[in-house]
Amino acid sequence: MAKKITGPQLILANRLDDGRAVFLTSAGTWSNAASEAAIAENDAELDTLMTVAQAADLANIVVSVTPVAADTSGEAIAPAHIKFAMQARGPSVRADLGYQVSPNWEQ
Amino acid sequence: MYAYDTYDHAMVNARVAEFRDQVDRRMKGELTEEEFRPLRLMNGLYLQLHAYMLRVAIPYGTLSADQMRKLAHIARKYDKGYGHFTTRQNIQYNWPKLSETPDILQELADVEMHAIQTSGNCIRNVTTDQFAGAAADEVADPRPYAELIRQWSTFHPEFSFLPRKFKIAITGAKEDRAAVKWHDIGLVLKQNDAGEVGFEVLAGGGMGRTPVIAKSMREFLPISDMLSYLEAMLRVYNEQGRRDNKYKARIKILVDAMGIDEYRRQVDAEWEKIRHVPIDVPDEEVARIKAFFAPPPLPVLADDVAEVDALADSNFIFQAWLANNTGAHKVPGHTHVTISLKPHGGIPGDATDAQMDLVADLADTFSQGEIRVSHEQNLILPHVAKKDLPTLWAKLDEAGLGTPNAGLLTDIIACPGLDYCSLANTRSIPIAQSITERFDDMKRLMDIGPLKIKISGCINSCGHHHAGHIGILGVDRRGEENYQLLLGGSGAEDASKAAILGPGFNEDGIVDAVEKVVAVYLGEREDDESFLNAYRRLGPDVFKEAVYGTD
Repeated sequence: MAKKITGPQLILANRLDDGRAVFLTSAGTWSNAASEAAIAENDAELDTLMTVAQAADLANIVVSVTPVAADTSGEAIAPAHIKFAMQARGPSVRADLGYQVSPNWEQ
Repeated sequence: MYAYDTYDHAMVNARVAEFRDQVDRRMKGELTEEEFRPLRLMNGLYLQLHAYMLRVAIPYGTLSADQMRKLAHIARKYDKGYGHFTTRQNIQYNWPKLSETPDILQELADVEMHAIQTSGNCIRNVTTDQFAGAAADEVADPRPYAELIRQWSTFHPEFSFLPRKFKIAITGAKEDRAAVKWHDIGLVLKQNDAGEVGFEVLAGGGMGRTPVIAKSMREFLPISDMLSYLEAMLRVYNEQGRRDNKYKARIKILVDAMGIDEYRRQVDAEWEKIRHVPIDVPDEEVARIKAFFAPPPLPVLADDVAEVDALADSNFIFQAWLANNTGAHKVPGHTHVTISLKPHGGIPGDATDAQMDLVADLADTFSQGEIRVSHEQNLILPHVAKKDLPTLWAKLDEAGLGTPNAGLLTDIIACPGLDYCSLANTRSIPIAQSITERFDDMKRLMDIGPLKIKISGCINSCGHHHAGHIGILGVDRRGEENYQLLLGGSGAEDASKAAILGPGFNEDGIVDAVEKVVAVYLGEREDDESFLNAYRRLGPDVFKEAVYGTD
């Protein structure tokens, strides 16, 4: 059982192959856009999402599966804490490189 | 430079093959992440915020031109066209793919490099003076001893699972450019009254959440006893260092708890037991290692070069570069050159693949094919003829590598911070960028003089903020980035611990605070008094008043 949650949560992980920060979507897939993250509003929903996420961990798709507080107050969903928000946004430096200029930086 | 023998080659190649198999098994799911994590860390591979990060060892910061070309090639082929030189004289790649890491390690092995022991609770890359073998103020070249320590510590079966990581620094110069007093063990090459060269041994220093300046263990240790004495020091630490709390597991905590005298007593007792077994290497082996570091055959040249003087007279930036980025060499007519990786507004320690290639070419042309990495995150050409300086500077400047700020306020150490690092609480790089942009005036910087700013994005202190004349520490303040200001630290022979001045600031406020501190210094300094000396004379109150007001 996941810990009792006090607000909306989303699931963050890193892809196994390249380490890219990814977010679990409601379709059970992993997106590099936090805005596509599935939101758990209560413990039961979080348990459901974590079951899907942990299956992806066992299937060697992702590592470091972590439920984190979500900020749903803005136009797009984002992790609430700055550390996880940085994972969604990418580095604030080297704007000429990285996925801060392209959501598909690995391609 | 040291050249691998067949044993070194076989060892490193075997390690690459082993890791290739481990990665393959991880990708297939035959190893869980829990099983794989310690294996990848033993090969320098971390998982950071956005990607894996590979930390490659640059033993005691020494690189050949060909090795630098390989680092450039790896940046280009496997990463995003740049690398980050670190405060342990290593290089980090921020974007390698797990599946390609074995290929990277194989490419490194091809030029006698690896990523072994760049992570984990083992003896890490030994660091030293970036001007080793070149500096005029050197008693002896520390690199042969650093190499001996590297060989002794690599895969040392007893010290592969220490209570915590272990860092050794060694210097052979009067001026401590290797921050030896901030290390678990510091070694300082000295000459005794009989004219023999040996080591002063220091122990128990370190940064992190508990900053401690190392204490003296022995005033003079004969060189021939170095490895057995280190072995005894590590043995006592390995046995008695705490393993119940990772924040109390470093040797500094042990030495503090038992006292330096008791630690010394126990080390001496251990040493008596082991010093006569063959740990120390025979003299002929020391001589063999030393031969790799024989001084290059530099001709004695004139120190005064008319073309250099003429350019300095007509070009202020070159004049500043000459004053700040070059220094006294052992051989007349030569100098060592610090290539600043601190362009104003840039990222401290970052170099592009093209810049690395250029530095390699310049090393071949002007510096005997040798390059060094400093713990202050710059690159060094150790052996340059003064007559070549105008040509060299022009080529560096054209590539964005000619910033004449070595040792000045904008020569900032900054950790990768929250832009990359999963341990960080705040970003560090943007603070360094903002400060260098605020102080983007070379005449002002020259007037301020030597001033070391060091920035860490968390208490782990990779940015050495405890040793900064001005230190900046990023903290998480209720989910927001907040920056504490510290003053009065030093990483040099007069090592001191910086003290927090007062409440922290936001991203803009910390830059304003630095400017206020500098203004106090400029107003209060006496004659040629440096910032650090002025702070030590004045104390914190006058700075506190300027930064926080009198209320």
